[in-house]
Amino acid sequence: MKKFIEESWLVLVLGVVFAMLLAGTQTAMLPQIRANQQQELLAAIVEVVPEMDAEQAPEEMDPQELGVDLGQLSLKDVKIYRCPGNGNTPAGWAVAATGTGFIDTIRLVVGLSATGDRIRGIKAVAHTETPGLGNKIDTKDEENFYPLQYAGKETSRPLQLVKGTAGEASQIQAITGATYSSQYVMDIVNEIITNIVPKLPAQ
Amino acid sequence: MAKELTNFEQFKSGILDNNPVLVQLLGMCPTLAITNSLENALVMGAAATFVVVMSNLITSLLRNLIKPHVRILIFTLTIATFVTIADLTLKAHMYEVSKQLGAFIPLIIVNCIIICRAEVVAIKSGVGKSLADAFGIGIGFTLALSILGVIRELLGSGSLTLPGGAKLLTLPAAFEPHAWIIMILPPGAFLTLGVVVGVVNWLRERGKAGA
Repeated sequence: MKKFIEESWLVLVLGVVFAMLLAGTQTAMLPQIRANQQQELLAAIVEVVPEMDAEQAPEEMDPQELGVDLGQLSLKDVKIYRCPGNGNTPAGWAVAATGTGFIDTIRLVVGLSATGDRIRGIKAVAHTETPGLGNKIDTKDEENFYPLQYAGKETSRPLQLVKGTAGEASQIQAITGATYSSQYVMDIVNEIITNIVPKLPAQ
Repeated sequence: MAKELTNFEQFKSGILDNNPVLVQLLGMCPTLAITNSLENALVMGAAATFVVVMSNLITSLLRNLIKPHVRILIFTLTIATFVTIADLTLKAHMYEVSKQLGAFIPLIIVNCIIICRAEVVAIKSGVGKSLADAFGIGIGFTLALSILGVIRELLGSGSLTLPGGAKLLTLPAAFEPHAWIIMILPPGAFLTLGVVVGVVNWLRERGKAGA
């Protein structure tokens, strides 16, 4: 025992000192980290549910209470938010979920109308898709039209990805050179509109 | 036995003659992965410098107490602690950059440059020399990452971004259609590193021949 203490006392002491140092840093930084994450989420929700009153906080719903069986979904870390509009009118819903991407996972926020019948917009808040190709899933300008196509789509049936020009109402045109990234985003959206949207209560 | 270096020589050696990336070819993982912009390179360099300075400082202060067979354990414990502090600080105060660097900040824990400095210098040198070494290596690492970051971002994105998002330089819009996307992708990292290491070796050989 004496030998054990002699050999290892420094490791034990350093362990305790460093643990205290880390606990202090964590306590000091955590409120700011939480605030950053919350701000990022709020900005994404306001973008996908434009009528939302940005002054009010979205109300997080419990998926189990809504009857959504998370165990059956391939999506991870699913959060459902009821978004308040101006006055007491509901602005819509936002669903955040993480699904498979081309390189790593994609964290997507999908905005829905108050009745859940239409998609209002989508926003990829975290992903590592290929720069210049797959990362067009989150850029919006005249050339990078991909995420803009989702606004106004009906949620009654799954969307389909097409190469070339999208003809039908339920079709989305893939990004040239990034068909997989386009497909993975659509898979997340389809999983949300098939499994979560029907469970949303009327607002 | 080689001549003992002064503190200043030790500092300079980390930046030039013993540059961890361009001469020793250590720390290749972050070098290849995060140098697609100057901003990422500078923040990664700063985080690694902070960790190597703290690790060398603590190792040097405790060098007479550390038993040889537990030294690696103590190095790792120290490095892991300061990497976690750097990671939390970035998440709190530079959230966007920290998201871009992702797992590569926590991965500084296994960066062989840092444990190498503890083992080669700090465990057997005084505080002054250990700190001079740590600052030299940290600056050398940041410099190497920045050289790659400047070349890759300029050719791949047509701009240079500073930490905080400010643009140091933006090439005219006419450049955009000619941007080499490959430079900000992984192959661009290998190509740039190869060329830069080649140029550094050529300069070193020329310097030796001239001496």
